Amino acid sequence: MSIHTAGNFTAATRFSLQSGILALAAFCFATLVFASTPSSSTLNPVNGSSATWAGSGIAGATTDETTCVDGTDCDVYTITLTGSPANYKGLVLAISISHQNKLNDYDLYVHKGDLTGPVIASSTAGIPETGESVVIDPTVSGTGVYTVHVVDSNVAPGDPYSGVATITTPPADSPAHGSAPTYANYQSPPGLGDNSGEPSIGANFNSGRIMTQAVFDTLQVTFNTNTSPATATWLLKDGPNTNITTLDPILFTDSLTGRTVVSQLFGTTSLSAFTDNDGETYTVSQGGGIASGVDHETVGGGPFRLCTADQLLATPVPCAQLAIRGPLTQYPHAIYYASQDIGDAEMALSQDGGLTYEEAHPMYTLVDCGGLHGHIKVSSSGIVYVPNKSCGSTQGLIVSMDNGLTFAVEPVTRSSPNSSDPSIGIGSKGRVYFGYVGSDGHPHITISDDQGRSWHNDLDVGVPFSIRNTVFPEVVAGDNDRASFFFLGTPSAGDGTGADTGPTPFNGVWHGYIATTYNGGRTWFTVDATPNDPVQLGVICTQGTTCPNGTRNLLDFNDLTVDKIGRVFAAYTDGCITAACIAAGNNPTASHTRLDNDQATKATIIRQSTGLGLFKSQDSTRLQP
Amino acid sequence: MRRAVLPAILLLSAAPLAPAKRPAPQILGLRLGMSYEQARSRLAEIGQFKSEDEGQQVWILSHDQRYQYAIVGFDRARRVRYITVLARPDGKPVSYSDVGDLGNATRSGGPGNLRYTWKAHDEIGGYEYVAIAKGKNLRYLDRFAVKRLGGEAEDRD
Repeated sequence: MSIHTAGNFTAATRFSLQSGILALAAFCFATLVFASTPSSSTLNPVNGSSATWAGSGIAGATTDETTCVDGTDCDVYTITLTGSPANYKGLVLAISISHQNKLNDYDLYVHKGDLTGPVIASSTAGIPETGESVVIDPTVSGTGVYTVHVVDSNVAPGDPYSGVATITTPPADSPAHGSAPTYANYQSPPGLGDNSGEPSIGANFNSGRIMTQAVFDTLQVTFNTNTSPATATWLLKDGPNTNITTLDPILFTDSLTGRTVVSQLFGTTSLSAFTDNDGETYTVSQGGGIASGVDHETVGGGPFRLCTADQLLATPVPCAQLAIRGPLTQYPHAIYYASQDIGDAEMALSQDGGLTYEEAHPMYTLVDCGGLHGHIKVSSSGIVYVPNKSCGSTQGLIVSMDNGLTFAVEPVTRSSPNSSDPSIGIGSKGRVYFGYVGSDGHPHITISDDQGRSWHNDLDVGVPFSIRNTVFPEVVAGDNDRASFFFLGTPSAGDGTGADTGPTPFNGVWHGYIATTYNGGRTWFTVDATPNDPVQLGVICTQGTTCPNGTRNLLDFNDLTVDKIGRVFAAYTDGCITAACIAAGNNPTASHTRLDNDQATKATIIRQSTGLGLFKSQDSTRLQP
Repeated sequence: MRRAVLPAILLLSAAPLAPAKRPAPQILGLRLGMSYEQARSRLAEIGQFKSEDEGQQVWILSHDQRYQYAIVGFDRARRVRYITVLARPDGKPVSYSDVGDLGNATRSGGPGNLRYTWKAHDEIGGYEYVAIAKGKNLRYLDRFAVKRLGGEAEDRD
């Protein structure tokens, strides 16, 4: 054993000590929870039991709850409910906060237990709201400790919040407010998009154009809004190496940067290129970062996960580790490539805008989840998500909090495995909307406010149309409490997604439906977006390459996006395009089997015509058809 | 005479332990191109079926001290198109050099995400294949796989 003195410290020792002090300081800072005044209360199962508190008066700005530092730009208040859950029958815990300045924005999260517990309720309305509120049912969530986490989304000094927690009777159910959106369909012109299975779609916020790709065709679509209804101009904008051959086509547009990546699976890797001018010119890229036999690839991207200045002060070591995986060029965002590999699924990060990719990191093995997965989405705070239709007994969400270095597999509770890839949309403050097909064949959507660790508000949005078979769930979100969910559905019962090898072919008419929420997923408007023109007659087989001919013309998925003003666009493959097929689909007494279907693969876009978009800040500009 | 015999014996005894220049197209008696029935029979000898997804089966290995799981993918003709084994976390570690001569492998990645890849041709089956050893550790692998290249082995999804 030796004892160091100041005089014989080596450089390494000094560095180690400095690191240790910093780490200790960071640890103390991070674990010292800054509280409101008072910091806690106890409520009893009595109508009217209540408590109030004052926020700590801190100001700051965050992207979502994961980027706040307690005591700097968020604080906590603890509520303990006495008694047993049964004591609260007919009662709820109502929590609200309010402030004065309409230019400030606080967000409210309630964890069961301490801050590491699940977020069971949240309220994240933006400017100009001056209050947030949640209602919790203790007969479901239990008694004991609840931690109220109040986060400065964007708060200037001098406007502290005040909070109220009350045991009260449940509020009356509030119906969805507002009106349902309407939609129009735009079919690609003859000669373009004629072979368009499994389309992707993206919106370039800078140019206002839509980019879409299916099989060989990459298409640029411009909507002329000088006329109403708007007209569409479709132009072929193939990349230099992505119209040569294809196994799986994927297009991804980073709406904020305007960069579109096009990719075609090719043997053991992908052919890929990107464009910053909607396909006028392309740069050929490395491909994908996985070179050992890929399948079912996906490309996505968004902000890197990097520390805020406050986080850097509080936790410098992990922040430095994150920064290593930050941007290496002027291109500010991350691009990720992921695919099934041999016995696992992997993801590779590009730190130079999709030009090159690192050696891919394993996301999970087939011991954890099925190899095929849905498409990558990245939150505004840089959290990377990949949904999966089968992770043990549930569907799953693969989550990376460190720019694709390590991954966690989160089960989507109350879901069951299915044959359609699920999809997620991420609200501006991190709320995850997970759209999936349930074991009952119905279109479900469920919500997480804690990066997939817990789920709530699981709803069957197909109820208004009695949907009994569903395929290709696709989700996009805008503001934290606004999202749209696109799916193909039919009210016909039976095995509408199988191989259709029985003596009686499946009989059903499929339409494209879009469900939209404007209140965080509590209620949804579901609309038939293809009301007079069926998408498919008969079966839509989702059993991959084992599907017989004539059952899988639509391939594996559709896609959904939102433009700068919050207008929703869906890309789908239309399998029923002739007058005879459409007429049969609109005739309820006609036969609707695969034998009556066109087996077409025509590129079509659904464009939202009216109603509120997904960005509240744009509500004053009414959408025009 | 004794001098000549001893090195020969040493060489012979060491031969099975020396890594092949390139890994063989088989793992644990499971061979690329093997029929579904043959593969199932061999898997049943060495493990228990766990799950199946899209023509890929996961088996829990019963007695192997090195590997915990075997994952086997089949092509449309129901022949083995790939085999992956996952190292047992608390088992006997397998170094990268145990499965093949690293001098003949392409090394990629780095600490925390290392992989060695061999490309080879199977004279018996008449096909190209890759062998890949991956791991976080710089010395020991987490998983090892062999996969046929081309044709039915690379089904379109």
